[in-house]
Amino acid sequence: MTLPVENNGLAAELLRQSEHDGAVTAMDAVLSAAHKSGLTNDQCFRLLARLWTLKRLMYYVYGAWAQGLNLNDYPPAVAYLFGKQIYDESTHEMQYSDEILRRGWARTQKKIFAHPYGQFAPATRVGAYIFCLRALANYPQHLRLAAFNLGPKVIELAWTERFAGSCPDPATRAVFASQLAETRSHILMGRFHVERFLQKDVDVELARRLCAETRRDYLFYLEEVARFVLGMKEEEAGDGTAFADID
Amino acid sequence: MPGLKIDHEKCTECRMCYVACREIDINAVVVSATSRHLLEIDDRCVYPKCTVCLMYCPAEGSIVDAVSGKSLVPPPPEVWTEHLRWPRVPAPR
Repeated sequence: MTLPVENNGLAAELLRQSEHDGAVTAMDAVLSAAHKSGLTNDQCFRLLARLWTLKRLMYYVYGAWAQGLNLNDYPPAVAYLFGKQIYDESTHEMQYSDEILRRGWARTQKKIFAHPYGQFAPATRVGAYIFCLRALANYPQHLRLAAFNLGPKVIELAWTERFAGSCPDPATRAVFASQLAETRSHILMGRFHVERFLQKDVDVELARRLCAETRRDYLFYLEEVARFVLGMKEEEAGDGTAFADID
Repeated sequence: MPGLKIDHEKCTECRMCYVACREIDINAVVVSATSRHLLEIDDRCVYPKCTVCLMYCPAEGSIVDAVSGKSLVPPPPEVWTEHLRWPRVPAPR
């Protein structure tokens, strides 16, 4: 689905760059493997558990962002939609853990937290990405939403659309398909914030820089997930393949 | 077929039933894989042996007996018993 964003302006620029980065990601290697020979139960568990790990960490990010919001900074409807989008991320987290429990890969939620596939370790790409998002708490809300919603969320939409369209496992495909409207809502919220609240030149430059950083760290996270699902060795220093033109 | 189902006309999607069911590791309340993400109760539900979700649901009539359609929120006296109430041991004062 093509998103309605005008062809000029910062929102379109950030969206175009992120769509370019999202056209092919490391997750496509996972989808290819699924098409070729299907994912094993273990690979599917790895995939859902790593996606769950990221989604559950979003509570930590959004908590920090929400603390930085003051009353009347933004119109109430805008603040409400931000709350709704936090709720949506929570829904996606629940869907991943529901699926893991339903398939019997873990017996209880506590066991998913304890399982190596679902654990969070700071010195990882998921850690780097989450701390990158957490650091956006230092900036005004419209800057962090520009960076996040017109960066990683665009890439997330791109690869989840492909999984929703052709993942051979019907249950996994349904989970991804059900999340698409909410991910689009994030992107359109990013566009709204850029068009409505982002006016100063310094903010435009900051948005470009922050968006490039978050995109880069999200792409590294996806690469870590894909390697883990496919059983490839962890990347070593200098192996990274994500690009971001920051300066 | 689960013994309970959610009446989406009345459910407010507060997710209290989901939290309670997760807490006791039955995990029968799930988020549906549809774009509205409504909560559903699947066949892991062991009602009438467990009535925890009924004890925590705040929206009258939103969880019903799957067979009879009878509202079970607030819990009728036959399920609000010493044996079925949850937590089983009252919190210390």
